[in-house]
Amino acid sequence: MPELLQLRPPGEGPEGGEAPPGIEISPDFREFRQAESVDQMVRLAREVLADPTFPTVRAWRSAGGKAVGCFPVYTPQELVHSFALLPVAMQGGGENLEISRADAALGSFLCSISKSTLEMALTGRLDPFDAFVFPYICDVSRNLDGIFTRILPQRPSHMLHLPQNFTSPATIPFLVAEYRSLIRKLERVAGRPFSESDLRASLEVFNTQRALVEQLAELRRETPWKVTLQEYYLLLRLGGLLPREVHIPLLERALSELKRRDRKNKDAIRVIVIGPFCEQPTLELLQLVEDVGLYVVGEEFQMLHRWCPQITIGKDPLQSLAAAYVRTPVDIGVRSTPTTKGAAVLSRVDATNAQGVLFLTAKFCEPALEDVVLYRRALEGRGIPYLHMEFEEKSTTYEQARLQLETFVESILFD
Amino acid sequence: MPETGGSSETPGGAAPTFLHDARSLQRKLVEEYYRDLEANERPRRPVAYMLVGGNLAEILRSFGFEVVFPEIVALNCAIKHQSLDNILHAESLGYGLDVCGYVKNDLGLQDLGGKTSFGRIPRPDVLVCSFSGCYVYVKWWEALAESYGAPLFMFDVPYMREEVPRKEDIDYLVGQLWELVHFLEQRTGQAFDMDLLKRVLIESRRAEDGWVEFLRAGRLRPSPIEAYFESIFYMFPINVLRGTPEAADFYDVVNTEIRARVRDQTYPLPEEKFRLLVEGVPPYTNYRAFWDFFRKWGAVSVVATYPKVGGLFDRGFRHDPARPFESIAEYSLGAYVNQSWPLRRKIIADYVKEYQADAALIHGIKSCRSFTAGQGDLRDWLIHDQGVPTLYIESDHEDPRYFAPAQIKNRMDAFFESLEQRRAVAIAGGRTPA
Repeated sequence: MPELLQLRPPGEGPEGGEAPPGIEISPDFREFRQAESVDQMVRLAREVLADPTFPTVRAWRSAGGKAVGCFPVYTPQELVHSFALLPVAMQGGGENLEISRADAALGSFLCSISKSTLEMALTGRLDPFDAFVFPYICDVSRNLDGIFTRILPQRPSHMLHLPQNFTSPATIPFLVAEYRSLIRKLERVAGRPFSESDLRASLEVFNTQRALVEQLAELRRETPWKVTLQEYYLLLRLGGLLPREVHIPLLERALSELKRRDRKNKDAIRVIVIGPFCEQPTLELLQLVEDVGLYVVGEEFQMLHRWCPQITIGKDPLQSLAAAYVRTPVDIGVRSTPTTKGAAVLSRVDATNAQGVLFLTAKFCEPALEDVVLYRRALEGRGIPYLHMEFEEKSTTYEQARLQLETFVESILFD
Repeated sequence: MPETGGSSETPGGAAPTFLHDARSLQRKLVEEYYRDLEANERPRRPVAYMLVGGNLAEILRSFGFEVVFPEIVALNCAIKHQSLDNILHAESLGYGLDVCGYVKNDLGLQDLGGKTSFGRIPRPDVLVCSFSGCYVYVKWWEALAESYGAPLFMFDVPYMREEVPRKEDIDYLVGQLWELVHFLEQRTGQAFDMDLLKRVLIESRRAEDGWVEFLRAGRLRPSPIEAYFESIFYMFPINVLRGTPEAADFYDVVNTEIRARVRDQTYPLPEEKFRLLVEGVPPYTNYRAFWDFFRKWGAVSVVATYPKVGGLFDRGFRHDPARPFESIAEYSLGAYVNQSWPLRRKIIADYVKEYQADAALIHGIKSCRSFTAGQGDLRDWLIHDQGVPTLYIESDHEDPRYFAPAQIKNRMDAFFESLEQRRAVAIAGGRTPA
């Protein structure tokens, strides 16, 4: 049951049935603006995540705003934000969503996030959204766009082609043209024209958010005992669900508290987590990772905030956004690697002073699965221990996962 | 994709009477292709690995490259029941159960030394990744680049969301093509020869005309061709040998045979009871059994989407020697799985009408999310929006562990039985049967 937020009474659902009850958030997000402690922020985040009816989006709409659902990685949220639309990370339905219709529409051998996203669309849970963006991060994300255009014909859906050739001089002009196609749809949704100055302001907002996210990541990297993995994760997760103008001061307050925290450093193993750049593991699994004695000091959670470092804002902000994508040094599985996968993983291990690597890949996530082999080869060459585990959105038992993780920890401790 | 030429077996265990000269010639071309690849040791011509969708074979050929298509090698292994060993070996290297069977077959085969029953597959000197319609291409070619240490050229092909390519798409592609030319000049020490490329494109165009004439024969009633199972044999020249005179000449032989079939009334089946549209990649590991499940019910595929994975020539595209790079750019956009679902639905709706299909069968495969993700929704659209009876079944194209013959046969039997019943009811009610 919600502890901090009001429970919304059941209402009329999209198909005449009873809509699932959801929690209510104030249209001015005062619950988040007034949350002073990290504990309070984290509890709010838990309640929001447990509700697959997007309570933050409903709150935004009740204040007259419009929202755009963004598949998790590389959607240019700055562009959405520049139209005063709320960019919202669609990161699956989580553990509380039953899949009843999406299986039939998608097929059997597909990841949880694609099925739960489609299930939410088919059952009206995405009704608070005015448009959707699906970047070409994999074939399933790409194809979801085509399904959305049929099942939700009144709401624009856009598939953004993300270039994979990072050396051609033709790439940035092409990506700018891609953004312009998206802009034409956003103009219709927002009812206002694109403005370079608005985009420039949005880039500043997101740069501020990125800087704070990086501070939190650094805190976790350097002093992981000061912020638990769940706290860290939930604070980042809120960033894709709240208006950024609400999330930024929240993160500032959180950082202020966390930096002052006085907690004891445990004798835990430093690892980096690779694989969950799109679909997210359950909170229980994250807890388990820490419970067995691992400090996660580098990871790929919530890449929507972290796909590039600061964006250098030049004369043409659209060009700046495109250049940031093309030139980003951040390497994840849904982007071709300029060096080699082996070199990439070893440099990440070195940069974080990690003692091992935990591969957490979503079931059926082919980009992640294929990288694992190349990463493993490089790690074996340097004698760096690793463990590979798969996860799904709905996990009911963690006994096997606990056993695997404990064995991994012991193998490093007693090596 | 095509079968290799080594097997004399035909679907159902008995030679379909309608497969004659073209099939023999296709076998010969396949055998020669692999024999030439294997014999290419001294003096060695450079070898390029390339993908079928949006491939740039003409440009590579103009530089004298032998072109290897690992997808085609993989399906050749599958149809000869050799894929599972390679897949299991790839799994032992760490490639998971849910990785594409083509990728696992290829990487497993490579690690085992590249030897197949139809020839040894040479190592690549360059890797050209035409990222067209399949994200796995990017990952696959990255893995090959790391394994072989071969230079990789990433040719990024925009996904098609509108019927007509945008100017920005063409500009982007043409820019990359010139960069590819520079890349190949550096690696071969040869200057690019535009006149030679144009001559290659003339042959490509001739092959494309012949291929389309064959495909369109499915519009006749009864159809003189099997547009899914037979087309798969004949995809080899258009995808692998395109740009050579042999490929173009091949379709002259094919179409002569098709005209003879019409004249002699020699059809895929004695009675064409159901005209089918087939969507999806075939289960190569059980190709003959799968075909039998159709034949048993008098079902003939008159049109299929899978033969268009190498290009939508039947929708009007041709390589154009007068606009060499622009037309290659347009071609690269035209792989079937590089079309968005709205475009795929339109193509399928047009096919149902043009080929007078009675029903549709969708074969989804575990390996290929690009082709398959959304085929369930396609079934729903065909049935409810288009009024086309449709069956959706699943297995895999490479991995025989996912082909459940009894289950698939049961579902197909039930489907065709319901079509028969539906037809009987329509006739009894005085309506024109579907």
